[in-house]
Amino acid sequence: MYEIVSSVKRNYIADLALHEKRLDGRTFDQFREISVEKGLIKSANGSARVKIGKTQVLVGVKIEHAEPFPDTPESGVLMVNAELLPLASPTFEPGRPDENAIELARVVDRCIRESETIDLEKLGIKPGEDVWAVFIDIYVLDHDGNLIDASALAAMAALLNVKPPEEEAWTLPEFPIQKRPVMVTVSKINGKLMVDPCLDEESVADARISIATTEDGSICAMQKGGTGYFSREELEKAYELARAKADELRQHLR
Amino acid sequence: MEKPEKLIVDGKRLDGRAPDELRPLKIEAGVLKRADGSAYVELGANKVLAAVYGPREMHPRHEQQPDIAVLRCRYAMAPFSVEERKRPGPDRRSVEISKVTREAIEPVLFLELYPRSVIDVFIEVLQADAGTRTAGINAAAVALADAGVPMRDLVSAVAVGKVDGTIVLDLTKEEDQWGTTDMPVAIVPRKKMITLLQMDGHFTGAEFKQALDLAFNACERIYEAQRQALRERYAIKQGG
Amino acid sequence: MIHVQNRELVVPGQLIAEGDYRLRDGTFREGKQVYSAVVGLAELRGGEIRVIPLQGRYIPSRGDVVIGVVVDSHYSGWILDLNSPYTGNLFVSDLVHRKVDLLREDINKYLSIGDVVVAKVKDVDERMRVQLEIDQPWMGRVEKGKLVEISPVKIPRVLGRKGSMLKTLQDVGRCRVRVGQNGRIIVLGRDHRMVNAVVEALLMIEREAHTSGLTDRVRLMLEKIVSGGGD
Repeated sequence: MYEIVSSVKRNYIADLALHEKRLDGRTFDQFREISVEKGLIKSANGSARVKIGKTQVLVGVKIEHAEPFPDTPESGVLMVNAELLPLASPTFEPGRPDENAIELARVVDRCIRESETIDLEKLGIKPGEDVWAVFIDIYVLDHDGNLIDASALAAMAALLNVKPPEEEAWTLPEFPIQKRPVMVTVSKINGKLMVDPCLDEESVADARISIATTEDGSICAMQKGGTGYFSREELEKAYELARAKADELRQHLR
Repeated sequence: MEKPEKLIVDGKRLDGRAPDELRPLKIEAGVLKRADGSAYVELGANKVLAAVYGPREMHPRHEQQPDIAVLRCRYAMAPFSVEERKRPGPDRRSVEISKVTREAIEPVLFLELYPRSVIDVFIEVLQADAGTRTAGINAAAVALADAGVPMRDLVSAVAVGKVDGTIVLDLTKEEDQWGTTDMPVAIVPRKKMITLLQMDGHFTGAEFKQALDLAFNACERIYEAQRQALRERYAIKQGG
Repeated sequence: MIHVQNRELVVPGQLIAEGDYRLRDGTFREGKQVYSAVVGLAELRGGEIRVIPLQGRYIPSRGDVVIGVVVDSHYSGWILDLNSPYTGNLFVSDLVHRKVDLLREDINKYLSIGDVVVAKVKDVDERMRVQLEIDQPWMGRVEKGKLVEISPVKIPRVLGRKGSMLKTLQDVGRCRVRVGQNGRIIVLGRDHRMVNAVVEALLMIEREAHTSGLTDRVRLMLEKIVSGGGD
């Protein structure tokens, strides 16, 4: 569904950007207030709710038995799914995940998978037959922009919250987490780069780039979105911004 | 397939290429009769067809935009295009690729010229060997020009990545599967605007910049091949 | 400064010139630079630059003569397909040129679905809603003749400079030819052989639109058929 943005609002936000200002008075490199609450859902193995400003995302992690993929018979399975719930925005509709939900899930999936955050090789039970599957379900509860960062952070927090299943088949001392990747989205408005766009900013932005970095500052996933573009210089600047902000966001995972 | 012990031996890749070498590229414009515009791209073992219909009347009507044309992109893989038969119909991967493809192309179109209409771009991967989304974008750009759709420029795309610790251009299936990193990039060549960028794997900051260098250089060559394909298509027509 | 030859083949994004030129169709400007927006032939005339497109759909423009096909009707008129992203609307009052009492009169007697109509584009608004009218005696429903469809971008060639090609087609081909800017053409004539010959000629014009000496070749071809040497 299309959201019509009035030209008044568009011009206002663009004009603010030109003067290095934002709607809510933040600086370009400033996130909204972040809160991370872990373990709210008892029926899940791990869970977390992340709020970035008014945006709210809940992630539940379930760990269950599954058949391994034929090409990795001894490794556990990772699945990421995202739901843009109709209660989270007047523009979200019930039904099958649309391209935005699919993109969100796949970007978070790559962030966790490619950084080898979970040591999936340790999650085998019976080679070729039985392995542990980690299901990460992203539930978007309130959409006020920057769902990617909120979802990735909530997923990471939920993984750090995981209590392994109380079964004989589980033999590891703890859930095998190796990395803590953090995603930072940089929006481009009127030629200016800013982190953590709120919904109004998102709706007038030319483009965004989401960059996931691990503790050592290396990149494990990126995704450009929106119908605008980035120059090479902007991209490199976005990376520096994302890297610096990731350290700050990572503090919330402790 | 088993993972090969090494993907790069003595500075050469398994198919004999240097790290900064593109696979053989062939682009042909105007290959379909019914479509308003079309193009066929071969990149190594990739075979990709793109067709453009429109601008045409938008159905369903409620998806019309009152002041601009809507660009719709559909990326699809033929069931026989990959080793293990792919179930027909859109899966999550193709939905995502369709979206980023649209976002990669839209910046070059003058959509405001055709209110309420739709421009449909259909990309069909007939044979896949990694890099299909970028091959699809290359084909789509040529097909749009072939359809006479006004554009600010073409869009050129290529994947770069990291294999055995080396930054390489235009990954094959093996390199994509066993390598560390894959980063598809689309560029509007004239203004050097990056309109698609995805990445998964591992890059340090320095590697990221090196990979971008490779992508920019390769896109220049792809751009020239795209323009040449268009010139050839219309030079024949002029001959008469 | 000009970067291409006159009538050189250009592609989208190609730099044509730099400076204060007047821009016509198929071009756009970024700063001082003038670029082509389409695949076509760059034409530089006086201070004007245009790119003659080699491909593309018909976009209605006020004053154009078009040939439409009735695809739907509503209480006060008809919707016509124009071989374009946009359909045209024809009110009954713009067809019969009088006030029509829609309660009393059944307008279905004037036009039916599938009818071919020659009309003029009366108006196009900014949302590309197209109003048609019949304002010449030779416009309106087409009862007979052969309907040919060619690429709309080739229509200027069918007309020729100052209508020279059209004159050749009609005079030498002994037919009446109604040309719609939307790529549809109606050929009317008594002699079936000549109607077919003109249709042939039109398809030849489409194929060879951007070659020189085309009018002469069309004339020769038609003359040959008229003198009985055809086929």
